[in-house]
Amino acid sequence: MIAALLYLQYHTFRNRLVGRFKRLKQPKYLVGAIVGGLYFYFYFFRYLFRGFGGRPAVNMSFSSGHLLLFELAGALVLFVIVVLAWIIPHERAALTFTEAEVAFLFPAPVTRRTLIHFKLVRSQFGILFTTLLFTLFSRRFGGNAWIHAFGWWLILSTLNLHFLGSSFARTLLLDRGISNRLRRLLVFGLAAVMAGAVLVWARQTLPELRSADTTGFDEILAYAQRVLTAGPALYLLYPFRLVVRPFLAQDAAAFFVALAPVLLLLVLHYLWVIYSDVAFEEASVEASQKLAVRLTAVRAGNWQAARKNQKARRPWFKLAATGPYATALFWKNLIGVGQVLSVRLWISIIVVVAVFGVIFAGKAQSHGLSIIAAFLIAIALGYSLLLGPQLLRLDFRNDLPLADILKTFPMRGWQIALGEILAPVAVLAALQWLLLLVGAGLILYLPVKQEALFLAIALGAAVLLPVLDALLLLIPNAAVLLFPSWIQTGKDSPRGIEATGQRLVFALGQLLVLLLALLPAAAAFVGIFFLLYCAFGPAAAVPLASFAATIILAAEAGFGVVLLGKLFERFDVTEEHTS
Amino acid sequence: MIQVEGLTKFYGEFVAVNELSFTVQPGEVMGLVGPNGAGKTTTLRCLSGIIPPTRGSVRVGGHDIVRDAIAAKKQFAFFTDEPRLFDYLTVWQHLNFVARIYQVPDYERIGRELLEELEIANKQDALPGELSRGMKQKLAIACGFLHSPKVIYFDEPLTGLDPLGIRRMKDSILKRARDGAAIIISSHLLHLVEEICSRLLILKNGRKVIDGTLEEVTRKFSEQPGDANLEEIFFRATSETGTGAPAVPPLLPH
Repeated sequence: MIAALLYLQYHTFRNRLVGRFKRLKQPKYLVGAIVGGLYFYFYFFRYLFRGFGGRPAVNMSFSSGHLLLFELAGALVLFVIVVLAWIIPHERAALTFTEAEVAFLFPAPVTRRTLIHFKLVRSQFGILFTTLLFTLFSRRFGGNAWIHAFGWWLILSTLNLHFLGSSFARTLLLDRGISNRLRRLLVFGLAAVMAGAVLVWARQTLPELRSADTTGFDEILAYAQRVLTAGPALYLLYPFRLVVRPFLAQDAAAFFVALAPVLLLLVLHYLWVIYSDVAFEEASVEASQKLAVRLTAVRAGNWQAARKNQKARRPWFKLAATGPYATALFWKNLIGVGQVLSVRLWISIIVVVAVFGVIFAGKAQSHGLSIIAAFLIAIALGYSLLLGPQLLRLDFRNDLPLADILKTFPMRGWQIALGEILAPVAVLAALQWLLLLVGAGLILYLPVKQEALFLAIALGAAVLLPVLDALLLLIPNAAVLLFPSWIQTGKDSPRGIEATGQRLVFALGQLLVLLLALLPAAAAFVGIFFLLYCAFGPAAAVPLASFAATIILAAEAGFGVVLLGKLFERFDVTEEHTS
Repeated sequence: MIQVEGLTKFYGEFVAVNELSFTVQPGEVMGLVGPNGAGKTTTLRCLSGIIPPTRGSVRVGGHDIVRDAIAAKKQFAFFTDEPRLFDYLTVWQHLNFVARIYQVPDYERIGRELLEELEIANKQDALPGELSRGMKQKLAIACGFLHSPKVIYFDEPLTGLDPLGIRRMKDSILKRARDGAAIIISSHLLHLVEEICSRLLILKNGRKVIDGTLEEVTRKFSEQPGDANLEEIFFRATSETGTGAPAVPPLLPH
């Protein structure tokens, strides 16, 4: 029977691979594959290949002390993961099968144990792929490629078996009347007792960590090492250290010495999983249906629908039955944004910001902290421009799978385009204004004389940022309408190296378009700034130059909205589906 | 109400719809039938402005769907075979949203009546993900009927409905027709077409095979009056041998 399941797995993999190769006939995939291949080669693979005779990117050599620290840190991470695996999940054990597998395998004369074996074999595909990725990454810092690969494989496989075994154990506990709440309480209590025991032991046995020690990172590490290598922590972390040890082996001999205990752990886990007699079928059927819904949503580029726990959100404002058409889409997308950024979250952000503001205000003399905060705000603003338009996709990128419905609306193209991009612009602008407000407050505490200049910069940014956001959002939205199959939307979103290459080409294209769009505004800013600088000084020149740049950017954004509307009107939904 | 003249749609070199012309008057229910790939969905998509026709014209309520798209789109509602809803809007928020799109000032009263009529009034605050397939279909219908469309397109309207829902849907379609709406129903369910359509248009390979009232179509494809039901007519009309020869495949293989 397992042969039939392996046949299924082999042909699924093979056909997918053949399909990927076949589509390389299309130039867009070929170009993507070349660019993606080059990227992967230069960033990862060349270091892997050099592992068999060459040098890694950063050839780091580690002392035995460092290796012990890495081993302890890795063990600690695994310990936390395992404890969380016993605390967080609440579902009954469910092996993940696709709907087709459920339809074919569950009614078939296949034993439960065979199904588990099938699941274990299939999970190896994912584990091997993750192992490859992790090895490519970790190999950049030196070490033997094959040791890294085997080490990662051992860690991931052990974790995988443990997750499966713990899910079976959870289900058995539920069947015996131990509720999720009680189980969580017990595990959490046990973890707390363990942590408490380690702390008490450390306090009683080790010399106290003096405040002078906390200034040096090495001293803290040395203290942590002493805590974790003796007393109760030694026994608690020991199995986890065994799992990490092969990965950190410096040569083949050390690897094989470390291998035997992990293999024993792996076999014990395997036996635990195989001999657990848990009815997982019903939960698996339910899980497969949920998975199918989520997969469909993700493949359609609809990440919001793919979220597990979607809740109805209240609208951000009351939508009147009459008025500008675009407001309807703005209203709708704001509700969608609410799935990610709820009113409660906004209030929390504001409260946190206010609390920190009060703290900083109270410590006006602590200019050092203010400078750090101002610097962080500047970084956050930069990231909001860089990542915001990519993360906030409540626009055409989200609605394109419903393009046919949007096209039946009695709205002009530009109205739909405007309505689509307004919500992410508003959210980004609100976030940036909040940051600027805090920044402006901090400026008052900065040890600089030119407070007026900094406030002028903040004012100029406040005016400039919303139109800049609009421009930044227009570009990917236009791109998604021009090249729907290149972007993550539609039902056949590309995957693989060629898809990575496509995204790289695409990101470069977007950057180029953005630079071209910014040129006139930048020129206007520089011109007006220097014109006004001599007469009125920088504090007046900055906001006025910003206003001028804003007008140009706003004109460009307006033109962009009209263009985006035209693109949507010409967008052929059938071509998108057949592309 | 719906005037189609020489409608042609190419996908690359493939002709999906070829020189299609017909008219649907207010109060008429036209059944659009044909084998898979005949061009039914493409026709409906062209009629609703989702895709532009390659050639020909479509007028809805006197407005050209290409040149005067906004006015034309205000006239109709299009129900796709699969209800297409926004995942993060509740049932009532869908109605609120559609009301603004179609500028329906009295939407709260109409919406409540529609939800009552469709028996989903108790699901006002539910997200589409919490609704069954049939309930989603009902929500899509409520959204479509909110602005009292004069033209209605249905693509497989009975998919996913239970027997009571099917009965209500048929009644609803006929009621809208009696109120003066021009209706086109694309369906493979020939008994549905036979039951509620006053006219029939059979498509094959993008071309019109026949267009007329049910009586006219029956007369044309019957050797003697009353010797053929719609299923037989469909097979005769779409058979490879031409219109006259019977080409009904047997239910069971010999």
